[in-house]
Amino acid sequence: MYALLALIAGVAIGLFLHPTVPDWLGPYLPIAVVAALDAVFGGLRAKLDDIFDAKVFVISFVANVIVAALIVFLGDQLGVGAQLSTAVVVVLGIRIFGNAAAIRRHIFKA
Amino acid sequence: MVEVRRNPVPSLLESMSRDHLDPGYAEAARRKAMPGGATGGGPGRGRAIAAVTAACAVVGLLFGISASTTQTNEPRTEKARSGLLEDIDRAEQRQSALATSAADLAEQLRATQSELGGAGPLQTVAALEIAGQITPVTGPGLRIVIDEAPAGTNASGGVIQDRDVQLLVNDLWSAGAEAIAIGGVRVQPRSAIRQAGGSILVDNRPVFWPITIDAIGDPAGLQVKSVGAPGFGRFSTFAQLYDISFDVSAQETLTLPGGSGTDLRYASAPAQPAPTPTASSGSPPTR
Repeated sequence: MYALLALIAGVAIGLFLHPTVPDWLGPYLPIAVVAALDAVFGGLRAKLDDIFDAKVFVISFVANVIVAALIVFLGDQLGVGAQLSTAVVVVLGIRIFGNAAAIRRHIFKA
Repeated sequence: MVEVRRNPVPSLLESMSRDHLDPGYAEAARRKAMPGGATGGGPGRGRAIAAVTAACAVVGLLFGISASTTQTNEPRTEKARSGLLEDIDRAEQRQSALATSAADLAEQLRATQSELGGAGPLQTVAALEIAGQITPVTGPGLRIVIDEAPAGTNASGGVIQDRDVQLLVNDLWSAGAEAIAIGGVRVQPRSAIRQAGGSILVDNRPVFWPITIDAIGDPAGLQVKSVGAPGFGRFSTFAQLYDISFDVSAQETLTLPGGSGTDLRYASAPAQPAPTPTASSGSPPTR
């Protein structure tokens, strides 16, 4: 599957090239990672549910990352950045857990 | 799976516990299932695969970047911490080295002076230096080790304060101690024992727990005379009540370091018309 190969290639590039992250991007990277995880798990579950849709996957991923970063940015400006990051992580974490559980039910039928 | 509801927006907690999957997928599936909605095959499908692949590559890149920055940042913070610790160590070593060299130089100075001058005023200087607790001394004496109560033994806090140490040192002086060092810092006539936070400062130099107080003098006499003194009584009471440690032991030989010389910043000797050697032998000040 191309998607899996692309994923692995991306990880490898990120790990071996050691790109420097600009400082202003620092606080948003963890949030973007969580949002990306959510998108990946969502896409995988949709695939297993046979309702995967490329457009929905790409747009939901991009939108999630942007919205999450925006929320954190807004929080930083208002002085509640850390709390809002926690909120984003909690919400996306619950979704990741739920999707992981659904994937597990699909694979193990349990 | 998706039932029609009167209230299109479910309550937040309910939706959080139920709708883990983006509702867009269900929506898209329903659109595809409708006649004429599906666009399967052809260029559309290739574009979709390319889009998904690109998105996945971006996701992987995100993971990889984040993992590598975490890996590179972790040693950096650790390095900064250990670097600071090393700096502290080095500064402490430097301080002790400088103190040693200062004492050595003072010793050399005294040796040269005694070579040159022999008797007379320089002898008086030497006597005064001993009286001023500047030169290192050795002799029998009493060693007292005090330490705070182990953490957590009592909430009221078995904290030893500067006043307690001051009383103890005063007791030792009045019991006939000739020289005293606290934690390796010689107590001089102008020394102050003070407290900054949890640590005791002697002559503005921190001494660390457990604190060793060395007093040179007749061990038996010191012990007998100081046992009844208020400072000692205070400490034995503390040892019973608050579980601090307080050990007194007689020592055959104690070696006390010399104190740092006193630099007078404001005081100066009045101008004398001519040195009178006979007058200098008059009365060396007694401590």
